[in-house]
Amino acid sequence: MPKLIKTKVEMEGRTFEEYALVDEDELPPWTDEEELGIVGFPIPRVDGAERVSGTAQYTHDVRLPGMAYTAALTSPHPHARLVSVDVSEARTLPGVLGVLTRTEVHEQLQGGVRRMFTDQLRYAGEIVAAVVATDPDIARDAVALIKAEYEQLPHVVDIEVAAQPDSPKVHTNGNIFGDKPQLVERGDVVAGFAEADVAIEHTYRTATQLHSCLEPHGSVAYWEGDSLTIYESTQHVFGVRNAMARWLGLPQNKVRAICQYIGGGFGSKAGPGAHSVFAALLAKQIGRPVQFMLDRTTEQIGGGNRSAMVMKVRLGAKNDGTLTAMDLHCLADVGAYGPWLPFFAGPALMSYRCPNARSETLGLYTNTGSFMAFRAPGFVEGTFAIESAIDELAMALKMDSLALRRQNIPDHDQTNGSAFSNYPIEECFQQGAERIEWHTRTNGHTSSQDRIRRGIGMSNQIWWGGGGPPAYATVEVNTDGTATLRTGTQDIGTGTKTVLTQVCAEELGLPLAAITTVLGDSGSGQYAPISGGSMTVPSMAPAVRSAARDARLQLLDIVSQMLERPVEALEIRDGQIYEGAENHGPVKNLIGKLGDVMIIGNGSRGPNPDGVTIITSGAQFVEVAVDTLTGRIQVLRVIAAHDCGRIVNPLTYRSQIEGGIIQAIGYALTEQRVMDEHSGIQLNADLGDYKIPTLADIPEIEVLRIDFPDLVANPTGAKGAGEPPIIPTPAAIANAVYDAIGVRIRELPMTPDKVLAALQQQ
Amino acid sequence: MKRFTHITPTSIHEVIPLLSEHTRPLAGGTDLLTELKEGLVEPDQLVSLRKLSELRGLTFDAGVHIGALTTLTELSRHPQIKDGPYQALAQSARLAASPQLRNMATIGGNVLQDVRCWYYRGPFDCWLKGGDECPARDGEHHKHALFDQSPCVAVQPSDPATALLALDATVSVVGPDGTRSLSMQELLTPPTATRRKLHTLQSDELITAITLPDWAGWQSVYLKAMERATYSFALVGVAVALRLDAGVVADARIVLGSVANTPLRMDKAATSLVGQPLNDETIAAAAHVAIQDAQPLPHTHYKAEMTQRMVRHALGTMV
Repeated sequence: MPKLIKTKVEMEGRTFEEYALVDEDELPPWTDEEELGIVGFPIPRVDGAERVSGTAQYTHDVRLPGMAYTAALTSPHPHARLVSVDVSEARTLPGVLGVLTRTEVHEQLQGGVRRMFTDQLRYAGEIVAAVVATDPDIARDAVALIKAEYEQLPHVVDIEVAAQPDSPKVHTNGNIFGDKPQLVERGDVVAGFAEADVAIEHTYRTATQLHSCLEPHGSVAYWEGDSLTIYESTQHVFGVRNAMARWLGLPQNKVRAICQYIGGGFGSKAGPGAHSVFAALLAKQIGRPVQFMLDRTTEQIGGGNRSAMVMKVRLGAKNDGTLTAMDLHCLADVGAYGPWLPFFAGPALMSYRCPNARSETLGLYTNTGSFMAFRAPGFVEGTFAIESAIDELAMALKMDSLALRRQNIPDHDQTNGSAFSNYPIEECFQQGAERIEWHTRTNGHTSSQDRIRRGIGMSNQIWWGGGGPPAYATVEVNTDGTATLRTGTQDIGTGTKTVLTQVCAEELGLPLAAITTVLGDSGSGQYAPISGGSMTVPSMAPAVRSAARDARLQLLDIVSQMLERPVEALEIRDGQIYEGAENHGPVKNLIGKLGDVMIIGNGSRGPNPDGVTIITSGAQFVEVAVDTLTGRIQVLRVIAAHDCGRIVNPLTYRSQIEGGIIQAIGYALTEQRVMDEHSGIQLNADLGDYKIPTLADIPEIEVLRIDFPDLVANPTGAKGAGEPPIIPTPAAIANAVYDAIGVRIRELPMTPDKVLAALQQQ
Repeated sequence: MKRFTHITPTSIHEVIPLLSEHTRPLAGGTDLLTELKEGLVEPDQLVSLRKLSELRGLTFDAGVHIGALTTLTELSRHPQIKDGPYQALAQSARLAASPQLRNMATIGGNVLQDVRCWYYRGPFDCWLKGGDECPARDGEHHKHALFDQSPCVAVQPSDPATALLALDATVSVVGPDGTRSLSMQELLTPPTATRRKLHTLQSDELITAITLPDWAGWQSVYLKAMERATYSFALVGVAVALRLDAGVVADARIVLGSVANTPLRMDKAATSLVGQPLNDETIAAAAHVAIQDAQPLPHTHYKAEMTQRMVRHALGTMV
């Protein structure tokens, strides 16, 4: 019988207390490496062939009979009131099947989501109306025939301007998110600075980073009677199901959300968007399936972003390196409708032992596309600031910066007094420092006149990634000895499908090839959490194990009756039934005698431990080359040492680490949204002038094997690896650039103009 | 997008009568197709040059004759271009765009490509598109001009154009009145109030070839600064061609790219070297002269420093 529990669930720095239904049986922890024959091994992706051969069906590939295509009219103004929309001419264009305005959407929706569809337009590029036609070109032509009238309002696109009292107001209440700054405080910061022998204060700036998902946000929606099916490029099929049901006033079991493959999800595809609503309502209007994929421009404007930040960091320490005080201030851009505030102070408050600390985050609305969670939101930005500042403090103290970090590592979570589940940071420091040859660092004392200057830097990393309930799975064992794993999670490109197949095969005792995993469909799988917050594997692996274990125990019970042998003596290994050394033959030979029987195992994720903060931690060490002619920084090498608990699959783990680092390199060196302040228009809503790394920008990445199962966290010992690797890279690069040229760059991205300006200071 | 027709003539004689302000010749299409999608150009007809095989490839006599449809890939790999006095051209071609684009892009189209200014390409009524003002002047212009040539501060985006000017290329053009030859400087000129584009080719004319003189005894180099390792338009391009005679500079040409509406010949800097040995001192002096007339915008000061460093390095490779 499942039981109801109350459990704490952490999601990217926000902790919720939630009810969850969990299994009463506790899953025994995987303590013995030797016992595992599939988990921990480099299994190639189970869906690799589909992915590389082009047969994998992404939302963008979905073609349904009679499917129609959508194009959108977007606001040309950063801030305006929509006075009127005349769609009559657009409707008459041959091939046009339907038109829907945001005002009409507003009338058809329920709840708070309606605030996204008012007559107020808060960024240039916000959707005003959509046309659906038999062909995408016709839809685009029809959009040009819509006549919209706007009353233009004053706009603001810069956070430092938005923070001024006389700034134009994005929302009626003003520009401050939640009407006041978000404060976190411990100890006495004033006393802490009084105690300090050395204090430093610097301001660090970061630019807005765009998710730039290769597959833009998009939906294909159709109705059968009063039931809606929606293919959505999403990180959470159940989130899409539940939100669409809520917004459209439908029962949850009348909405089915599907996402088998997704071309990039870094936080902005957490649920349905305006396009999903338009697709569903237009599909209802015209009685045909409707596709609405955002085009690249709309994606790069409205597809979510990492907040630009201005962060002021003040640190105080004793001469011996003991931190005495931290004072952190931040302005964060949440765009037009940012839903929450990224926790920029998290890395500082959690990574360092410091009794007196204070942070203040002022979220600011601007007339730009909204902030949405982006792979370790707040932590990438905040780590750049604190880890640059720690290096600067080390300089002021004339200490080695790694030694300074080591001296101030905390033994518990100072934000809530809890113990850490596991914190093998010293192992990461030690292995990384050895590989990069940390002792060769010059600390910026370069006398080189060479064109290319090399330097080494590092950064500390902390994050959560423990996952939690609710998460469910079922395992069906067929009479031919195969099994089907079903769950409503999704593989957003991380390898979830492969990892869960491994976990299932391991627990069931069947070979990997005997398992088919079905996921990404709320119509066939059970509830599973969002693939975000590095929580998919730590949430799902225990649930899948628990379902597989249930199936295995049932199977053994049946076999024991058939063989008339005691159940405790029997086990399943590699698809065979064993009793000690004696082989009773393949599973299928025994249960094959049963006819059309299906053994169904159910499983769920158990609760998280009380009084413990589950963290992932690590460090990266990088080597860079600064070209003193052009000011361009080339990252030569990244050594990544991350504790993410047990590594279920070294190949998919490595992919995650590499992907995070590559995305971080873009953030550190080239990526920035550029807004024209005067017009409020985004100038680089494309992939030409918005520069993500090319293959030539990607360094040698060495992933160290830090493989410590965290059995306090959950019985599989696995934690998330999605976000940790992106966190420390930008700071490590900035610290390496300092080592190379002896000048500190405190603003991301570190583009050639900034590097040349720094070189001229020499 | 405006509908248009498409025609594929088989000879250049058929092409010319088809060209007008309502049509556009289509070669590699790497720039034109993006402009069609963005609605920047709206021709009634595209005239494909695909079958004009006589405009492809290189022939060598005293100098080199480059067919206008020769791709950047061909130029960058040609053994007689890749090494020797024309090296800067091969380098500029190789440093442009991405391999896929270089396989399509032609040299004739490349030198005529439109500016990359995000105001020009975006929803702005900018001066170059016929408006009253250049929004980049007071806007986001950190990739824009270092030298002021017109009301527009967009820069010439072509890497090969910079090298071709350094190598004193001649452009052969055919039009309704026959053929004519232009220097690179005659082809690429700053826009004016009545001619809002960065070149002087008429809409009924076509580039057929680019000819380089014999540069025996010279060496050349092209350097490019970008924001990332590859696949980016130049922040600054520098092409230098130089002839040394017994350790003394006999002749030199220095051209800067992506700092003005056109590639810019820095004759004063080049002349300052003539008769001098190439050493740290003469090189630094020439590099300084190259930027002394710069008129940076508020956010392009760095380009002066970048240019100076790159000119110094380019000359340094020739010692």
